[in-house]
Amino acid sequence: MATQTNSSSLPQPLTDRAVRRLGRKRITRAALRAYAPVAVLLVLGILIALANPNFIELRNLVRVANAAAVPLTIAMGTTFVILLGSIDLSAEGAVAVGAMVLVLLARNDANTHDFGWLAVLAAVAAGGIMGLVSGLVQTGLRIPSFMATLGTWFIGLGLATYMLGGSAVRLMDPALRGLALNRFAGLPVAVWVALGAFAVAAVIQTQTRLGRHILALGGGEDLAEYSGISPARVRLLAFTLAGLFYGVAGVLAASQLGQSNAVIGDGRLFAAVTAVVVGGTALTGGEGGVFNTLVGVLIVTVLSNGMVLLGVSPYVQQTVQGLMIIAAVALSLDRVRQTIVK
Amino acid sequence: MTLEASFFAAPLSRRGVLGGLAGGAAALAMPHIARAAGDKPVLVTSIRSLSNPYHAIWKTGAEAFAQSVGAEHVTLVSEGNSEKGIADIRAMLAKTGGKMVLNSDPNDTPDARPIVEYCVKAGAYVCTQWNKPADLHPWDFNPYYVSHIEFDGVKSGSAITEALIKAMGGKGGIVALGGQISNTAAIERKRGLDQSLKNHPDIQLLDFQVANWKATEAYDLTSSLLTRFGDKITGIWAANDDMGTGALEALRAEGLAGKVPVVGIDGIKAAIDAVKNGEYAATITSDPFWQGGMGLSLGYHAAMKTFDPTAEPKEHREFYGRTMTITKDNVAEYIKTNIDAKPAYDWNDLWGRCEGQIRAS
Repeated sequence: MATQTNSSSLPQPLTDRAVRRLGRKRITRAALRAYAPVAVLLVLGILIALANPNFIELRNLVRVANAAAVPLTIAMGTTFVILLGSIDLSAEGAVAVGAMVLVLLARNDANTHDFGWLAVLAAVAAGGIMGLVSGLVQTGLRIPSFMATLGTWFIGLGLATYMLGGSAVRLMDPALRGLALNRFAGLPVAVWVALGAFAVAAVIQTQTRLGRHILALGGGEDLAEYSGISPARVRLLAFTLAGLFYGVAGVLAASQLGQSNAVIGDGRLFAAVTAVVVGGTALTGGEGGVFNTLVGVLIVTVLSNGMVLLGVSPYVQQTVQGLMIIAAVALSLDRVRQTIVK
Repeated sequence: MTLEASFFAAPLSRRGVLGGLAGGAAALAMPHIARAAGDKPVLVTSIRSLSNPYHAIWKTGAEAFAQSVGAEHVTLVSEGNSEKGIADIRAMLAKTGGKMVLNSDPNDTPDARPIVEYCVKAGAYVCTQWNKPADLHPWDFNPYYVSHIEFDGVKSGSAITEALIKAMGGKGGIVALGGQISNTAAIERKRGLDQSLKNHPDIQLLDFQVANWKATEAYDLTSSLLTRFGDKITGIWAANDDMGTGALEALRAEGLAGKVPVVGIDGIKAAIDAVKNGEYAATITSDPFWQGGMGLSLGYHAAMKTFDPTAEPKEHREFYGRTMTITKDNVAEYIKTNIDAKPAYDWNDLWGRCEGQIRAS
């Protein structure tokens, strides 16, 4: 995003009427965008429940929650980056690194380490470092986020493949397996961890300066910079934050599968970006947030659970997911403001 | 020509060949002279990825064979990218001047043709495994295309189905998880499942889903299938062990591990341990250690003129290799010979595991 401006391009103050006109239009559109995903989720839930009542069984809702845990945690990170108007493709690589660090440091069947919960800390930190690297590459070398994170994605995959010696290493620590296997108040612990990640993300977005700065930067980087925000610093923090969430997701994925391999993150990038976009966060940045993403993740998860319940052919399922992301972007784009498509 | 030949035999030959296209072209034109230098061909393994345990074991088998004959071994990884897989092989052919033996698991069926053609043009000996077009035959590329090895997917798919049904006590409901649909192995294994089910009217196939060979997808699918069918599921069939172990973890999350038997194919470590623990009814191994070593051994012995591929019958040029079904009855023995120790195979026994010519499909 361009940060170079000169004084002649300083924004001119808007007239009162223009502000009012802009405000009214934005509010209705914003309201539509905020509630449309919730409506979609409800309609989807009702339709599936009508077709197969098993859907609303408590047991199945628990399964839906369990299937949503990892995507939700990943999508929390991706949301902040997309709010900036950037894109983060590194999720699969960072998840693989997080899962790899966890499994190699906790009790496993490849080495003699047994660091227990310290391994979890290390895994989350490793995810954070991956994010920090993405941020540094982007701000330091001035490489677009698309390329920078594509790079860290493959760095992460390579690293995980190399460290795991090309095979699957199993997680043998019963306490860590317990994240997926033990339940608290009827829900697997992993679901509580994902909800915790959501709560942290919500606090960051609504209660901290970083959260407001991310939104401000996504809304208009030059404006934000004139108001004294350092874009480089906010970017670094946002990407690092995303990496931390990917690290947590890596821990959850490894504990669910009881193993770590380099492809543990496969397919999760698509799910996360779909969830963010379907939830109503604009790819252009500055609009939406983690609450939208929670709804988006539920839509994506309910839909894939529902399609299996309804016996939809596996090949149609992928097509439906592809159509969904295109439809969501098509609905959320403000074409009036968009003059160039590239 | 002799000047060129001595140039390639010189210690700097590798850099010389890499130096330019001209060098590479000259090397391609002169494989026989280069081979006349007398030392051993470079052994080259081309596989999809090192991140799946199957190909990782394949590589250890290849290294074991290379060590047994004292030849240099190089592994090329396509990362699921056909263009990269073929380009890497061409680069190796140029680098070695065709003085190499290739054992390839082509990333996709059509890839086998260019791979074989480039090898034949360069005078390198090649074996392919698993994937090749039906009309591409080793005997049409004498003597360089030595053999093509596959494992009878129909037979394997059927064998695990029988083992699963036995573990289920002859009745109940199965859900099946398949591999990518365009993939020959996935199609054949499913055919084996369907064939066996015909003989067991008391077994119901509740649903067939595709988990793309992956544990993560199998995990999510299995938990959704548990909702759809609940207690009706009394057995899970998976077209490979990655998906099988993913399904097993989904069962474990519901407290069903060990109660609903699972079967898979590939014989990965997690599946074998699950067989030992009674959570898995059976897995089948094509023995990637053997595949990695034997694919090179066939090419190596053809290159060293120990045998003449052109004199071999068709069932030695395109054959099904022998697989092994691992169930609770033989799992302890298998762990002792193949996991706790590296198997010691006689790499000179070229046809010991031949199970007949591959049928035209």
